[in-house]
Amino acid sequence: MTRRWPARPDHLMPAVSLLVVMVAFACSPLLSGTSLQPFDVYNALQGFAQLGLLALAIGITMIAGEFDLSIVGTYALGGMLAVSAGAGSAALGVLAAVAAGAAIGAAQGALIARLRIPSMPVTLATYIALLGLTYAISGGLSKTYPNSDVTLWVDQTLAGIFSPRSLLTLAMFVIAAVVLGFTKLGRELRAIGGDRRASRVAGVSVGGLVVGLFTVSGTLAALGGALLSYSYASANPDPGLQPLILAAVAALLGGVSLAGGRGTPLGLLAGALSVALLAQIVAITALPDFTTQLLYAALLAVIVAIESPGPRGLLDRFRASRADGLPGFPPASDDELHETSHQPSTS
Amino acid sequence: MTAVPVRSGASAVGLAVPLVGLAVLAGLAGTTDRFLSLDNARAILASTAFVGITAIGATLVMIAGSGVSLAASQTATVTAMFFLSTQQYGLVTAVTVTVLTGVALTALQGAVIGYWHANPIVLTIAAGFAVGGATTWFSGGTPVNPKVREFDVLNSTLLGLPVAVYVLLGVTVLAHLTLHRTTAGRQMYLVGSNRTAARAAGMLVGRITVIAWAFFGACIALTGVFLASFNTSATVTLGGTLTLDAIAAVLVGGTAITGGRGSAMQTLGGAVLIAVISDVLLLRGYSTGVQILVKGILVLAAVVAVHLSATRGRR
Repeated sequence: MTRRWPARPDHLMPAVSLLVVMVAFACSPLLSGTSLQPFDVYNALQGFAQLGLLALAIGITMIAGEFDLSIVGTYALGGMLAVSAGAGSAALGVLAAVAAGAAIGAAQGALIARLRIPSMPVTLATYIALLGLTYAISGGLSKTYPNSDVTLWVDQTLAGIFSPRSLLTLAMFVIAAVVLGFTKLGRELRAIGGDRRASRVAGVSVGGLVVGLFTVSGTLAALGGALLSYSYASANPDPGLQPLILAAVAALLGGVSLAGGRGTPLGLLAGALSVALLAQIVAITALPDFTTQLLYAALLAVIVAIESPGPRGLLDRFRASRADGLPGFPPASDDELHETSHQPSTS
Repeated sequence: MTAVPVRSGASAVGLAVPLVGLAVLAGLAGTTDRFLSLDNARAILASTAFVGITAIGATLVMIAGSGVSLAASQTATVTAMFFLSTQQYGLVTAVTVTVLTGVALTALQGAVIGYWHANPIVLTIAAGFAVGGATTWFSGGTPVNPKVREFDVLNSTLLGLPVAVYVLLGVTVLAHLTLHRTTAGRQMYLVGSNRTAARAAGMLVGRITVIAWAFFGACIALTGVFLASFNTSATVTLGGTLTLDAIAAVLVGGTAITGGRGSAMQTLGGAVLIAVISDVLLLRGYSTGVQILVKGILVLAAVVAVHLSATRGRR
């Protein structure tokens, strides 16, 4: 009844948004005047590599009805650790970052699962603490990564449009899709996101899943940070909130809702690709930077309009009134209905 | 006061932990060189004021169950620019117009949340992009530098304290009175703790939500006014980390993110506590990184303590 329209937002939303953005990308030569080059696709995929792992990390926590704000702190810390520990061996740096991310995520997940505490304020606190830790490690300055061989390697062009970094990011999405699609984990994640009490009663090990979930999100975020600082040949102690916000936008476009209970890794992939392509379109067509912000605002406004119970209620009532043959039933929100119906008792 | 024995036992534990923490802090602060001086007390209050004013407004929104806004920085920036570009009409007009702008922008978000039940996080991310994008568009990305400087009076001090501190205290008292002496304010607690029940009881949930957000908007605009006056110009990054700093102060003050519990006075306490701890660490020679790290741990401790005290009865 409440889920009447759109029928399957978790499938429809990412498909539509990716399609629209790809069409816009293909049409961008009309505005820029120059034809698309493989290099433009490569750039878009580099943008995807920068955003993708964060989007996957926050997306899977959102599917389970949680919201991991701390990923952007783990992202910064991971980048800093990779640069500090990976000067000699890049793999060692990645290992240090990933181990730290996993440990932080596990500790956080254990706290959230044990106390059954809302994850947003906890992860907000962790984010602030991790930001401080990263600042303390680096003295508040960016730290250069001296190993230029690694920097060249992670961003080298493969098959014209890929780089090891974007391929690795894609691989993570594929792994997530396979694990969540072919084991019961995917269903269980959606179950604890949709109705946690019911899934607990149904025998889902909610605590274990939550701990595992935050461990994975911390690991992915730290890996993303490590790859980014190898690519930039430097680690930034304070990336700001922007990466987190963009990751959340990608997840929302990917058909995940903040209420939890729906979404798939492939949807998240489509969402992350949409956001990256959109940024690339703005870059190709040389539109001013603020256009990107306004586009994101417009996309989110569409999501708000589709997802909010209010407008959907309006639509349902409209349909109901049409079905009952009542002409011109005045659209009213739930509030207005209650307000009018309760006025006599208050006056 | 009227708590049943089980509750009072629980709240005794809930009280003991923060009290011990405060005692440790007092000991550390008292033995810190230059902490116990009038100048330092002034510095603490002055550094509390900007974030504190926004945090007071955020308290009402959180109590009313709307969670948090992720658009506070952008709104503060745009109101600051508005304030600076209306200087030639006089201070009173400039402040009025700025506050009204803040109220309009933020109350609109409150309306979509209150009447349409939009998710506050998604909506305020959208609003942040819209406001931030529009700000860059209209300002052309260049700083706003006013020709007339009516705002200098706002940077002055009164009895040794900056004007912003008095405004913070005024806003806190106003928020306290709103929450406890007005119908809309008292209903914010009920809407925050159980929206469905509040609606069933005939409360105007949409309107109450809008009132909370409108108050928040006025507070953000006042922060914008003081940020603009203090910096004498406004760039698109003026709002800085205001969004999360304000949420941190509200959480440290003990307001529950799920709504229904909290108070403006506690948020003031939270903001001052963060400032005091940062000040002690600064005076003891710790880096900015350590100050931020400790702030994060403090927020975590407050969030866990509030959650435990709220759910203990139900466990």
